[in-house]
Amino acid sequence: MIQTYLKTTFRNLVKNRKHALLNILGLSVALAACIIVFLVIQYETGYDKHLKNYKNIHQIVTKDVDAAGEHYTAGVPFPLIKYLRQDYPQYTFTEMMQNNGVQVTVKQNSAESNNKKFREETGLFYGEPELMQMFEVNFLTGNASLLKDVNSVALSKSIAEKYFGSWKEAAGKRINIDNSNYDLQVAAVFDDVPENSDFPFKIVASYAGFIAHDGNGWPLTDWGSNTSNHQVYVLLPEKANIPALDKELHSFERKYDKNKKSTRTHFLQPLSKIHFDDKLSNNGDHITTRRSLYTLAFVGLLVILMACINFVNLSTALAVTRSKEVGIRKVMGSSKTQLRTQVFFETGMLVITAAVIASGLSYIALPYVKNIFAAQGTLSLFNTGSIVFILLITLVTILLSGIYPAFIMGKFKPVEAIKSKINTTKVGSISLRRALVVLQFSFSQIFIIATIIAVSQMNFIRTADLGFNKESVLMLQMNSDSITHSRIKVFKEELLSRSDVKLVSFGLDAPSSGNSWQSNFAFDKMEDKDFSVSLKMGDENYANTYGLKLLAGRFYEASDTCREYVVNETLLKKCGMKNPQDAIGKLFRLGGREPMPVVGVVKDFKQQSLKEAVVPIVISPKLKYYQSAGIKLFSNNLLKSNTEIQQLWDKYFPEYVYNSNFLDDSINRYYEQEQRLSLMYKIYAALAIFISCLGLYGLVSFMVVQKTKEVGIRKVLGASVQSIMYLFSKEFTVLIAIAFLLAAPAAWYLMNSWLKDFVYRINIGVGVFAVAIAASILIAWVTVGYKSLRAALANPVQSLRME
Amino acid sequence: MVGGKPNFILKDVNATVNEGEFLSIMGPSGSGKSTLLNVIGMLDEFNEGEYRFFHEEVHRMKEKQRSNLYKQYIGFVFQAYHLIDELTVYENIETPLIYQDVKSSERKAMVADILDRFNIVGKKDLFPTQLSGGQQQLVGIARALIARPKLILADEPTGNLNSKQGEEIMNLFKQLNEEGVTIIQVTHSEKNAGYGKRIIHLLDGRIEKEE
Repeated sequence: MIQTYLKTTFRNLVKNRKHALLNILGLSVALAACIIVFLVIQYETGYDKHLKNYKNIHQIVTKDVDAAGEHYTAGVPFPLIKYLRQDYPQYTFTEMMQNNGVQVTVKQNSAESNNKKFREETGLFYGEPELMQMFEVNFLTGNASLLKDVNSVALSKSIAEKYFGSWKEAAGKRINIDNSNYDLQVAAVFDDVPENSDFPFKIVASYAGFIAHDGNGWPLTDWGSNTSNHQVYVLLPEKANIPALDKELHSFERKYDKNKKSTRTHFLQPLSKIHFDDKLSNNGDHITTRRSLYTLAFVGLLVILMACINFVNLSTALAVTRSKEVGIRKVMGSSKTQLRTQVFFETGMLVITAAVIASGLSYIALPYVKNIFAAQGTLSLFNTGSIVFILLITLVTILLSGIYPAFIMGKFKPVEAIKSKINTTKVGSISLRRALVVLQFSFSQIFIIATIIAVSQMNFIRTADLGFNKESVLMLQMNSDSITHSRIKVFKEELLSRSDVKLVSFGLDAPSSGNSWQSNFAFDKMEDKDFSVSLKMGDENYANTYGLKLLAGRFYEASDTCREYVVNETLLKKCGMKNPQDAIGKLFRLGGREPMPVVGVVKDFKQQSLKEAVVPIVISPKLKYYQSAGIKLFSNNLLKSNTEIQQLWDKYFPEYVYNSNFLDDSINRYYEQEQRLSLMYKIYAALAIFISCLGLYGLVSFMVVQKTKEVGIRKVLGASVQSIMYLFSKEFTVLIAIAFLLAAPAAWYLMNSWLKDFVYRINIGVGVFAVAIAASILIAWVTVGYKSLRAALANPVQSLRME
Repeated sequence: MVGGKPNFILKDVNATVNEGEFLSIMGPSGSGKSTLLNVIGMLDEFNEGEYRFFHEEVHRMKEKQRSNLYKQYIGFVFQAYHLIDELTVYENIETPLIYQDVKSSERKAMVADILDRFNIVGKKDLFPTQLSGGQQQLVGIARALIARPKLILADEPTGNLNSKQGEEIMNLFKQLNEEGVTIIQVTHSEKNAGYGKRIIHLLDGRIEKEE
């Protein structure tokens, strides 16, 4: 029997080559999209699942509530762990200090000048032996307990290879972090951590060493300050009473903090949430919310649904031309079940072929996935999970696509079928097929609208007025130690002597940056305001270099310490001051410092991404905190200038790695996630359009065959080519219009909530929707056009003779 | 049903066909010949009346039972041959056996037999479109006979053939009838009807006369 099914299937597919090709094409593209979506979701949900203790590791995190709302921090104050260990000796606690963006100097035994310098943006931690045990780090040489030694450091295999050529050479060698006054000795080398881990250990230095060297200036005994860099983890046994412990942690800090002023509470954050909770930061390169994964899964589902709809539509249309065969088989004694099995078998063969092609397509596409999704690791097509998924999605697709056509063909009445009395109106309900086409077009229009909105918002962001000039500004990472301070003036002079350098300003950071430093303050009346102010620091050239606009007064004079302040418009507004002129000369007190006069007011500038509103800002000079140099260039060849400035840097600061970037690039990087999303929308919109066009083309082909006689008669009666083409496009145009009515509100709802992430955003105008529907209709007409034109131009004598 | 008034396609048709008969049904277009044949062949349903086949009450049967019954006893021959274009001659003839779950080795033997008997062994790997009309109808009859039915229903079996081919086919029917197969044929042609032992004339859904 199977042999017969196979044979018939093969002959039918060959006979209806075009139909089979359209279906396979649509299905394989959709399946490939689905497989990639699955791999991304699998990768994202697989974060840290390699750990045997996955379910038992919890992070202790902080929630603080004040007038401005709730604040979450992934870190806890330094003194906390001592009391945790004292109160809960039955649990294993460990603390670590994350230190991102460091310079590592690999010491050579020969001359100092031969030292190799590296910049490590991520992966440096100060950790205890317990940290390595808790996160199941696998040592190649040495062991976790060596980290008890204050000068020891453990390296990952790939870092050891990067520094020393071979990891076997690493043990006993010395490295130095950020030119500190003590070297670290490599005590151990461990296996690289999997890519999808939020604990990307690369360099783990002794935590005891961090403490022994005064915590690099961090307030080790202070309850008051808190940084997300200092993290505490606990390993709880299976049967631990987690809710009870969580509750005790809420009031834990108040129990031991002598000042008892803290409004902070702590709670347990299970490891399984760390990758998905965007309230808190993690140590990996990104956070993926569950919601965005659901969106992704939904998009994948839509695409495969569209392909199944195509299949159903094409197959039911084809059923008409196959009615004779079906009828004869019935007369020959085939049961309904046998006929349906036959149809199912054919569907199965098509879908399986498509699945094989889809696997190939996704294999080719995988290296490009990084550009669309946050997952930056290497995805592999074949693993147990993905193979199960591919089999499962193939099966589901067969069922979704096969059931209806099989049902329809089984139902044919043999006498009618044999006499070719079955026509499209009799095959299934025509309204069902119309509904399917409408659904399909709704999906593609949702994608079209989403794409247009996402792209216009990204354009808006790129061209938005930030209140300062981000063009041609080269940012250098500086250090704030005495060596740097001693050479900073000559370095600046040499820079300014270059013809391509217009202005140079040293400061804490650029006007717009991811950093934020906030403080309490008083203005005019010398009592603290009930909101805080953000601090920007820079020298006297800060305003000119970045193009800040003064509304009143002047910028402060050159100074290494703070004597005068400049504030922004928002600060005045929040303090109830309308005229910028009124602010000049008023006293300003920052934290507990000496009050100083305000000498100028600048126009608001965007201090962060456009997702954030402008906050009150105060700008002042303070050499001690300068960590960057902004160099305004005047050059046609920015990259060449950058290289030459690097040579200058190496001359003045040979101890430090040159670390530069252009300001507009780093500002664009705020929107990486959005850019990826808008690229994803573009790709999926293209897919959706492609798949619905395939479906439309297939349907029109069958319609043309069906209407050959009608067209012939109409032409004999004098119908023009246009009126025949109208005959074919009329129905689809109406269906697209109905689809639009469904798609427009859905897309509006979807994109409106996406836009809400941005404080500064475009308005969704009527234009977007007009473009979407015009595009869909145009695409449909083009698709339908060729076939219907051929039908319209056909010689009526021939088409009528055929009948 | 038109205008709310029942519109009968067949009415008051009473007939008994005995095993071994060769019956011809005649009548002008629209007289209900084909419908009657389809009813006998259990392809069409009827709303009123009774139909007994080998003393079994067909009108009381479920579709599945009917299907089993006609699979076993009835073979069809059509005016337009109705061979499956995608299948070869051999496969077309084999198809009814597959649906009756006949074992593969047995099928081979049966198909080989009939190919031999109809003298079309040389054509077994050709597709229907490669055959002449007469040859196609020969395959159609071979296919109808393959499952050794008791009854052959033929709907204008020579309608699409020239007179020489038609004569051959009618002689074949005659021969089959002599071997014991019951045959009911619908035909326009007086000459072909003459091959039957009995003729029923239909007009407007009623039996006009029997001879």
